[in-house]
Amino acid sequence: MDAIVLEGVSKHFNSVTAVSDLNLRVSEGALFGLLGPNGAGKTTTLRMILRVLIPDQGAVRIFGEPLSDRAQDLMGYLPEDRGLYPRMKVREILRFLAALKGVTEREADRRARQWLERLELADWAEKKIIDLSKGMQQKVQFIAAVLHRPRLLILDEPFTGLDPLNAQVIKDIMLEMRQQGTTLILSTHRMEQVEMMCDSICLIHQGRKVLDGELAAIKRSYGKNTLRIQYAGNGGFLDLPELIESTNHYGAVVEVKLRPGADPQEILKLAVQRGVRISRFELIEPPLNDIFIEKVSEADA
Amino acid sequence: MRKLWLVVKREYLARVRTRAFVISTVSLPLLTLGILVLAQVVARQHQDHPLKIAILDAAGGLGEPVAKGLTQKLPDGRPTFQVTKTIERPEQTEKVREELRAQLRQGRLDAYLLIPRDVLEGKAAEFHSKNPGDAMITAPLRRAVTEAVIRRRLSDSGVQVENLEKVIRSVDLTLVKVTEQGEAEEKGQTFLLATALATVLYITLLTYGIATMRSILEEKSTRMVEILIASIRPSQLLAGKILGVAGVGLTQFLIWILTAAALGAYGGAMARALQPDASPVQVHFPLSTLVYLVVFFLGGYFLYATLYATVGAIVSSEEDAQQMQWPVTLLVIMAFVPFGIVLHDPNSPASVVLSLVPFFAPILMFLRIALQTPPWWQIALSLALLVLTTVGLIRFAGRVYRVGVLMYGKRPSLVEVFRWLKYT
Repeated sequence: MDAIVLEGVSKHFNSVTAVSDLNLRVSEGALFGLLGPNGAGKTTTLRMILRVLIPDQGAVRIFGEPLSDRAQDLMGYLPEDRGLYPRMKVREILRFLAALKGVTEREADRRARQWLERLELADWAEKKIIDLSKGMQQKVQFIAAVLHRPRLLILDEPFTGLDPLNAQVIKDIMLEMRQQGTTLILSTHRMEQVEMMCDSICLIHQGRKVLDGELAAIKRSYGKNTLRIQYAGNGGFLDLPELIESTNHYGAVVEVKLRPGADPQEILKLAVQRGVRISRFELIEPPLNDIFIEKVSEADA
Repeated sequence: MRKLWLVVKREYLARVRTRAFVISTVSLPLLTLGILVLAQVVARQHQDHPLKIAILDAAGGLGEPVAKGLTQKLPDGRPTFQVTKTIERPEQTEKVREELRAQLRQGRLDAYLLIPRDVLEGKAAEFHSKNPGDAMITAPLRRAVTEAVIRRRLSDSGVQVENLEKVIRSVDLTLVKVTEQGEAEEKGQTFLLATALATVLYITLLTYGIATMRSILEEKSTRMVEILIASIRPSQLLAGKILGVAGVGLTQFLIWILTAAALGAYGGAMARALQPDASPVQVHFPLSTLVYLVVFFLGGYFLYATLYATVGAIVSSEEDAQQMQWPVTLLVIMAFVPFGIVLHDPNSPASVVLSLVPFFAPILMFLRIALQTPPWWQIALSLALLVLTTVGLIRFAGRVYRVGVLMYGKRPSLVEVFRWLKYT
C-alpha cells in the first residue's frame, strides 16, 4: 500500500507558485528523501501532506484515505522551524503534544520517560524548555514527533543543529523505526545523508518534480561513469578534456566524471607514466550530489 | 472536542500559573483591603486626645459662644475640643498671632481659630493647625462659628431666638432609587457601583483581549504553531486559545467577586459596630447585575478577543502588534467615551442607540443595566447583535488565522489580508 499519494497537487501564494501539479507516491515502509534546492517547495509539500496547508488543487491521500483528523493522528512531524513553548516543562510539553495525537496522559508520561532516558535528557524532564540548550531542545522536539508512534514520520532537515554524536543517535532511531514498519519522509538538501539512508527519492525544483524513483535505479540509469581517485603528486594528469567532462576536488579525493565511451584505463596509465602515486582508483555510479546539480541546472536551462 | 479541551486546559493552566496572573488577581483585592484597613487605622488614631485650641476673636463677643458651641465628643466621651484660652479684641492682633503661632510650633497648642473683625459682614474665619483638612474637626468648628455669627446677626436685628440649632437646622435630601424590586435609599452607591463595574469591564476586556493577541503571537514567534496545526484544526486551536483566556478572566472575576462579597460583609459589620444608630448604606446590587456582568464580560471578550486574535495572527513581531492593535484598542476606548451621556440619562435616545452598537454594548448596555434596568427587548437586541457580529468576526478571524500563523516577516497590508480569505 502507498503511505502517501499526491495527485496533481498545486499551491499558490498570491502570484507565487510554491508547488505546481505535483504527483508523488511513497510506498509504506519506505525511507523517502524529498530533495530540492532552497525554495523549491519542499516545506510547502510537507505541509500539505500534514494538512497544515490545504492545496489549491489536487488530492492528498494518506494510507489510502483522504486527509482527516484521524489521518493527522497517524503522522508525526519535525518542522524545519523548530520551537516549543519556552516556559513549559519538558515532560508537560511532551504530554500535551502526545495527548493532542490521542495518547493518554499516563501512557505519554511512560513513553516520555523512556525516550528522555535514551536521549540522555532524563535529568531535564522537569526543566523548562527555555533552560535547555539548542541541541537538547531539538532532541525534545524529535521525541515530540515520535511519542505517539506515528505510522508516517515526516522530518524536515532533522540533522541541522545536532552535533555528530546526537546526529548519529537520531539516525539510528530513524533506521530502527523503519525496521518496525514506520514510513519516513526525510526532507533535506544534504545529499550524502540521503544517499546513505534513503531507498527512494523525489527531487523537486521550482515547485515541480524533476526526478523521482528508487535511488538505486536512478543511479544505475546513469551507469558507472564516475571515477573516485585518491593520489599524491601533481594533478596535471587530469587535464584530459577529450576523456573527462568535469572534475570535482574534495581535497583528499577527486571525483572525475567521464565522457561517454571514455576508458578509465587510459587515465590510470597516464597517471602512472607521470609518476603520480595512486592510493585509490574506483569506478562508481555518480554521487547524488552530481545528479542533483545536473538535474537542477538542466531544469533552469 | 477532546483536542479543543486540551488546548483550553493548557492555555488556562499556563496563564493561571504565571506570576503576572497571581499578582494582578491578588493585588486588586489586597489593595482595596489595604486601603480599608488603613482608613480604619487612621480613623481610630487620628484623634486620641482633646484638641487644645485657642480662639482669637478680633470681632469681639463671639469667642465665648463659639467655645460653648464646640460640644463634639470623642468616642471615649471626652470633649473633642479643649479651648485653652479665648482672646477678645487684642490691641495688637499681629503680636498675639505671633505668640499663638509659637505655641503651636512648640506643641503647647494644637490649633487656633481666628475670627476676623469683619466676620459679621461675611469675612471668612481662619483655622490654623498643623493638619487643617480633617473633616472630623472642621465640620463641628464651622457649625459652631456659623451658629455664633447667625445668633449675633439675629440679635443685632432685634430678633431673640431660644433654640437656634432647631431654627437653623437644614433639611436633608434623601435620594431613593426606584426599581422593580422595590425602593432603596440612594446615597450615590448605585452610580458609583455602576461606574466601578463598567470600568472593571473595560479594563478586563482590554487586558484579556490583548492577552489573547500576545498568546497567538507567542505561538507564532516560538514557531510552536506549526506543530500544533499538524495535530489540530486551526479553528479549534484558535477557539481553544480564546476559551482558555476567557477561563482565566472568569477565574479572576470569581476571585474578585468573592473577595468583594467577603469585604462587603466585613465592612457592613464594621460600620454597624462603629455607628450603631446610623442607617446603613443599602447597596442595591441584585444577583441579576452580577449575571449580566459575567454575560457582558464574556460577550465583549469574545468579540474583542476575536479582533485581537486576528491582529496576533497577522503580525509576526511585537512592534507590529503594537501598531496593528490600535484600531481595536480604539474601539474599546470609544466605548468608554460616552460614559457621561449614559450616566446622565440612561434612557435617552443617544444612550439607547450607543448601547445597541455591538462594539460598545458590552460596556454601555451593562452600565445602563447597572443604573436602571432597561426594557428587556433592548437587552435582548443588544446581546443578539453582539452575538451575530461575533460569529461573523470569528469566521473571518478563523480564515485569516489559518493563513496568517504560517506567514512570517513583513507585516502584510490589509489588501493582502483580505486576499488570504480566498486561500482556503
